[in-house]
Amino acid sequence: MGSQITLTMSLVFIGLFSIAIFGFAIGFANDTGAVMSIADDTEFNDFSTDNENSLSDFKDDSKGTYESILDTTVEPGSNVAQSTGPFAVSTPGVIAIGTNIIKLPYQKIFGSGEGFGIFFTVFGGVIALLFGFYVYKTLRGNP
Amino acid sequence: MAYLYTLPNSTSSADEILSQTTNVFPAFTPLLLFFVFFVVFLGGITRQKLRNGTADYSAWAIIASMATLLPALLFSVSAGFIRLDWLIIVASLNLLSAIWFFMDRKISEV
Repeated sequence: MGSQITLTMSLVFIGLFSIAIFGFAIGFANDTGAVMSIADDTEFNDFSTDNENSLSDFKDDSKGTYESILDTTVEPGSNVAQSTGPFAVSTPGVIAIGTNIIKLPYQKIFGSGEGFGIFFTVFGGVIALLFGFYVYKTLRGNP
Repeated sequence: MAYLYTLPNSTSSADEILSQTTNVFPAFTPLLLFFVFFVVFLGGITRQKLRNGTADYSAWAIIASMATLLPALLFSVSAGFIRLDWLIIVASLNLLSAIWFFMDRKISEV
């Protein structure tokens, strides 16, 4: 489980880093009216689009995985909790509170565009996935 | 006194010095970026080794590549400083450093 988490996190953070650094470079070129921009290179443009699509898919997949982990039940008879009900009740509320809190500063700093939105949504998805992994590990142990 | 190349006219503007130097010596900008990268990379490694006994090579690689990207982006604002392929190389260096850095982390450090 540990190496799986390491590999997943590494791949996701490599993707997030590439989007962040190239998004910054392209945004810098747009803002300053630069003569040269890495967006002029078609391969970099295609890479950026593919990366964003892959991370969008990962976001949806991790959301599904997280929800399926919350729905997990354990057969009675063992000395463990029978369901993850407490997580299912508390976590969505916590996520809603956190979302509302960060909404205003996020829009003031990054604007309402989706350029950086995917960065934070995928980052949140990774944290949720990681949380799901640890919940699973707590209840079932290493697979 | 004879010079190897025509000296830049420094009375017009400050960035004209860089621009005219690059014009007569095209490798000036890549060498400058090369210098920035290795000053940060080797300097950081050396100081960390002296302080701790070990050095985090991948972390210093990503810091150095990001420190190189910033002047490269500044050079891209005006024509004559940097070519597109050098900007792409610096951006690719960032990506490679990120791959090295994130794959290099131990389980306990994630």
